[in-house]
Amino acid sequence: MVRSKASITVVFLAAFGLVGCGLGSDDGEDRPVEVSGEVDGTVTLQTWALKPNFTDYVEEVIAGFEAEHPGVTVQWLDQPGEGYSEKVLSQAASGDLPDVVNLPPDFALPLARQGILLDVESADEALHDEYVAGGISAYEFAGVDGVFGYPWYLNTDVNYWNGELLDEHGLDSDHPPATVEELMDQARIMSEESGGDMYLISRKPELGDLVKAGIPVLSDDGSEFVFNTAEAAALLDEYREAFDEGLMPRDVLTDAYLGNSQLFIEEKVAWSTGGGNFINGVRESNPSLAEKIVPSMAFGTPPLYVQGLSVARDTSNPAAAVALARWITNADNQAEFARIVPGIFPSTTASADDPFFTESDGTGDDDAKVIAFDSLAQAELLQPVEVDEAMSTIVNQQISLAISGDVTSQEALDTAVSRLNAMLDTP
Amino acid sequence: MVLLANRDRRRAPHGGGTRTGTASRSIRQQRWFAPLLLVAPAVVWLVVFNIWPSINTVVLAFTNAKPLGGGSFVGTANFERMLDDDQLVYALINSIVYMLVCLPLLTVLPLLLALLVEKRLPGITFFRTAFYTPVIASAVVVALIWNWLLDDRGAINAIAQSLGFLSGPLPFLTDRWLLLFSAISLTIWKGLGYYMIIYLSALGNVSRELHEAAAVDGAGVVRRFLSVTVPGVRNTMLLIMVLIMVSALRVFSELFILTNGTGGPGGRVMSVVMLIQMYSRGFTGNLGYASALSILLFVITVGPMVVLARMNRRS
Repeated sequence: MVRSKASITVVFLAAFGLVGCGLGSDDGEDRPVEVSGEVDGTVTLQTWALKPNFTDYVEEVIAGFEAEHPGVTVQWLDQPGEGYSEKVLSQAASGDLPDVVNLPPDFALPLARQGILLDVESADEALHDEYVAGGISAYEFAGVDGVFGYPWYLNTDVNYWNGELLDEHGLDSDHPPATVEELMDQARIMSEESGGDMYLISRKPELGDLVKAGIPVLSDDGSEFVFNTAEAAALLDEYREAFDEGLMPRDVLTDAYLGNSQLFIEEKVAWSTGGGNFINGVRESNPSLAEKIVPSMAFGTPPLYVQGLSVARDTSNPAAAVALARWITNADNQAEFARIVPGIFPSTTASADDPFFTESDGTGDDDAKVIAFDSLAQAELLQPVEVDEAMSTIVNQQISLAISGDVTSQEALDTAVSRLNAMLDTP
Repeated sequence: MVLLANRDRRRAPHGGGTRTGTASRSIRQQRWFAPLLLVAPAVVWLVVFNIWPSINTVVLAFTNAKPLGGGSFVGTANFERMLDDDQLVYALINSIVYMLVCLPLLTVLPLLLALLVEKRLPGITFFRTAFYTPVIASAVVVALIWNWLLDDRGAINAIAQSLGFLSGPLPFLTDRWLLLFSAISLTIWKGLGYYMIIYLSALGNVSRELHEAAAVDGAGVVRRFLSVTVPGVRNTMLLIMVLIMVSALRVFSELFILTNGTGGPGGRVMSVVMLIQMYSRGFTGNLGYASALSILLFVITVGPMVVLARMNRRS
């Protein structure tokens, strides 16, 4: 009996000891990192879902880097699209983050706050000259000084309309809606003309739609959410009326974005949004639809989507890691990438006048590309990077309640803001 | 054996005794660590994957830990937060309704199904397989099938409207209670085959002679079911009830699948496990609050199990 009690005690003590391992500290956060010096040795690169479609391109870029710096070896690791955030989280928690890693800004924020990423601004004097301001600011975060990633490729949203459906239901495909108000009016016409069988709208608003409408989401100092304004409530009211009138399918309440694009591909709705390469994707599923699509600029402020390359602060080879991140994101390599993947755009200032992005050959695909490129000049990160997955879920749930009429728009916004502020307060 | 060994030792105190003595000593010398060696893998597994995570959860519930952050002691703040969390109230109601509906249906229906497919009829294997198929169907396939069925433009609404039973679509996937009961139907559809197999094995142990004797005494089908079959599978039934209770209180997949992970309009069709998942995910997940919710779930799951165990002991 005594022995068994002793054994249990040992097990519990060991377990508590192991538990303690999870509650670590952030030692060494302010230690300067030396990035100058010879570029040699081994450096690891992690990308996100680029194999197998872009294997040749990445291998070519790596070969170019190794030729430029003899003596350096790049070990490339590509992670699958699903579960990437969990993968990066486990790598960061266990101290195994690759030297150079593809991180969108919302992934980079918590890592930067934990001192896991290198401030590339302090390591690179030419940063602000070579990359567009919007791309750089995406990697600047409230509460931490510095820039925590080289902006890589950019994207934005474009409105896509099924021209044939618009014309069939009393609308003009040459003049699709340019504002949310016009969208509601034309959705009403389409519903009347089709006897309620055809929808123009098949999505409910999200946090980003509030920003598009000029409503601030987060206070300037990032300390509290402030989007529970009368303007925001009025915007939700418009959608609520549209929902009430049957201008959108009921299942928008369960918030399936894929539902929206899928319905568009199946020609059951006449409007969708997507990146500059959306028509190309549609062509694979519904070739006849691709030719009917009319692109136009997104409503209000276009969203900015950024992918970037961050450098691990604890890299054993900082000189090679910074050089590799710069190499992959330089103007030539980005321009080459954007030619392979229509719809993405370089984040380098040198690419601004490239006629490939500014001139259209008159096809829908090329029109969309030019519209998207033009939109980037006004595009902004619509959702603050502070908004994590749980926060997005809560906002979407409250917007659903407002749209369905279960609570007033103001009540829904107040609840969302109160819950999000409580989560923001949690250290 | 011990006496023999002692005798052998007396006979050859300095080793080099008989072969019997050497062998028994060798066995006895190995004995003290052999059992430990045999149970070691199981103990290690238990400590690493059960005991440690459980203790870790309790510790984390009193901290504000994040996946990347250190986390400091916050006392009972996470438990106090539960009192103000109206989403938790919805989740608890959903989980309890789930359990209350699933428990009787999944206890009785699989038994009736097992009685039907127990008969040795031509082609009965086909039916057994068909009833079991939902159990092995992948979550993605199940999600597609049920979304096609229950969508506003899905098969059920389309058929009901074309037959004139409905003037407009029933909001199976967007109304709180319809969504909850749709998820319960999905659970029952998936669970029938699983519990049917368990009942089938239990029915094999119910004596045929008892049925025959009861029939000779004039008992009808219902009487024999209540007085012979049910007592015969009583222990299995209790086991199944416990399994259903635990899995109903911990429901996740069905609600997640049918709501696209949103928890339905307003998040009012979330279960406690969905809440835990929502709060713990991502780089900034609140592990402290998620752990406190896990402890609450553990407590409310253990409660009904204890009640059932006591009922079993008393009867």
